[in-house]
Amino acid sequence: MKIFAVLFLISVFAMGVVVMRMEINRSGREISKLQNQVEVQEARNQYVQLEIARLESPAHVSALAQEKLGMQFTKPHNVVVLKD
Amino acid sequence: MFKRSSPFIYDVKNRMKICGLLCLIAPVAIALRLFYMQTFQHDKFTTKAERAIYNYLAEDRLRGKILDVNGNFLAQSVRTHSCGISKRYVKDRNKTISFLAKTLGIPKERILEKWRRNRNFFFVAKKIKPDVYMQIVPTLRTSLGQGLDLTPEYERIHPYGDTAIDLLGASNSKNFGLSGIEQMYNRELSQDISKKRAKRARRGEVIYDRNLKEHLSVGDVYLTIDLQAQFFAEEALKKSVEEYGAEHGIALVQEPSTGKILAAASYPVKDGQSLGFQFTYEPGSTFKTIAISSALDAGTVTVTDSIDMDGRKWEVARGFTIRDNQHDKDFLSIPEIMQLSSNIGAGKIAVELGAKNLFYYLKAFGFGTKTDINFNGEAKGNVPPYNKWTKVDLATKGYGYGISLTPIQLINAYSAIANGGTLMQPHLVDRIEYADGRVDKKSKPVKIRRVIKPETSKIMTKVLQSVVEAGSGKRAQIKGYTVAGKTGTAEKLSKEGGYGKRNHIVSFCGFVPASNPQFTILVVLDNPSKYTFGGTAAAPAFKQIAENLLTLKGIAPDQVDFIN
Repeated sequence: MKIFAVLFLISVFAMGVVVMRMEINRSGREISKLQNQVEVQEARNQYVQLEIARLESPAHVSALAQEKLGMQFTKPHNVVVLKD
Repeated sequence: MFKRSSPFIYDVKNRMKICGLLCLIAPVAIALRLFYMQTFQHDKFTTKAERAIYNYLAEDRLRGKILDVNGNFLAQSVRTHSCGISKRYVKDRNKTISFLAKTLGIPKERILEKWRRNRNFFFVAKKIKPDVYMQIVPTLRTSLGQGLDLTPEYERIHPYGDTAIDLLGASNSKNFGLSGIEQMYNRELSQDISKKRAKRARRGEVIYDRNLKEHLSVGDVYLTIDLQAQFFAEEALKKSVEEYGAEHGIALVQEPSTGKILAAASYPVKDGQSLGFQFTYEPGSTFKTIAISSALDAGTVTVTDSIDMDGRKWEVARGFTIRDNQHDKDFLSIPEIMQLSSNIGAGKIAVELGAKNLFYYLKAFGFGTKTDINFNGEAKGNVPPYNKWTKVDLATKGYGYGISLTPIQLINAYSAIANGGTLMQPHLVDRIEYADGRVDKKSKPVKIRRVIKPETSKIMTKVLQSVVEAGSGKRAQIKGYTVAGKTGTAEKLSKEGGYGKRNHIVSFCGFVPASNPQFTILVVLDNPSKYTFGGTAAAPAFKQIAENLLTLKGIAPDQVDFIN
């Protein structure tokens, strides 16, 4: 009886180990998948940021201001500098 | 009582032993087999297990960003993917190719052609954007996606297009710097994660393991370059180069008090080829400033001296005469020599100073040695040893012939005159910020040496101011501001020997506001197709850059008449 009991306990322990390993692997897969999604979203975000940077670039803004709005760079002597 | 001896088989204990032995056969056989496999077939099975369990992630090299001094991204790596096909694993060729053609926007015929040309593996597309990648990923687990392979790679993106691209340089798809800042700071910018071994699941998905997470040590490089200043310099330079049909153009902007390079533009633009540091030339008249500053500092001339023009035809030695055709005066003061850009005056002053003294000052100003700005391919120019100079050599050096220098050396020398006489270490990198929070400051102003006395610097600033107010640099005048500068028009050595009248370099170097210099600006146009002068072609570009910078930084006018 004792032997059966020991064998039973060993079997339960082994099963536990197997289930745990499976669960670790499953979670690992899930984390990897999510990480990949995060990386893709980050890359997407980077592209958007870069597009913003491009649109905010001095070349783009000044071209638009000059061509579409007819604006011009002012001369420095027109700038009034306020002292603190 | 008769006692019958029981046969061996009827003995319960024996039966138990036999059963036990029978039960042991299988484990022993397994153990023996395992022993054989693990001892004699170890390599074979290790390789098999390695392939079955582990996945080698693609070689990965992270790369930091390059930013301007205000934190605007100049270069940044974006994770993309390349899509490849292993022919032998593809289930349905037509379906897979049609899917890829539709998703990637590539003609089906082109993929089919690659299919025919390659034996097994080939790349269908590189640098796939995240949105397209997301469309392909779900198919990898279906029969449609069998044989497809998505490998991560990086695309180096420059959001401001070609702005500062000559400085930034290039890096390849493996994130390895090839030229410019990308190459010079490759060690700081990149981290080689190399091949990572990851446990994989049945369908090749990577199983997360905390050991996979690397300690990041990549750095972001912040330049001293100001995006706005760079844009202004590039815009003005492009306009001048195109207007005068020059082969090349260079524009540099430096902060004279610190040595920081605020803009370094070359035109036409080439990755990693910044002519401001790599181009050498004979400067011509912009160099008179250096020779005359040296003579004033050494005390061989004073600002009130008048120099005899020898009837505007000075025979330096037999067979070598210097002529001044631009004026009709018999005597010129130092400011007049600079205003009229008199070669006779500058030559005579250089001769009076002497070869040894001039050589000493040239070296002190940093000519003939690299500035150590830390840019690949920086040239050092050429200042021949003074003991080999003849009187003619000495006289011609006075007005910028017989030596070669780089634009960065010249602008740095002008900055020394502007800041009171101290040669500063020019630098391009402000700081490096690492992923782990460390910050490596590089922008601390470093004084190399005192070159001229502060009094000499003040006198020379006044002299240079007079060049812009009343001399050849009038086109550099800016309303409300005092400007100090000098024009230069130098003939280039021709292939036939001697100096060719057709090939020349025009330039303007100066600083503004002269009373409290904030920017030193140099503009050089190499070989304009139209015959022109530094005062005509380069000075207006200087003016345009200076005006924009003064406006941008909100620097108040300093001209006394204007303020009153």
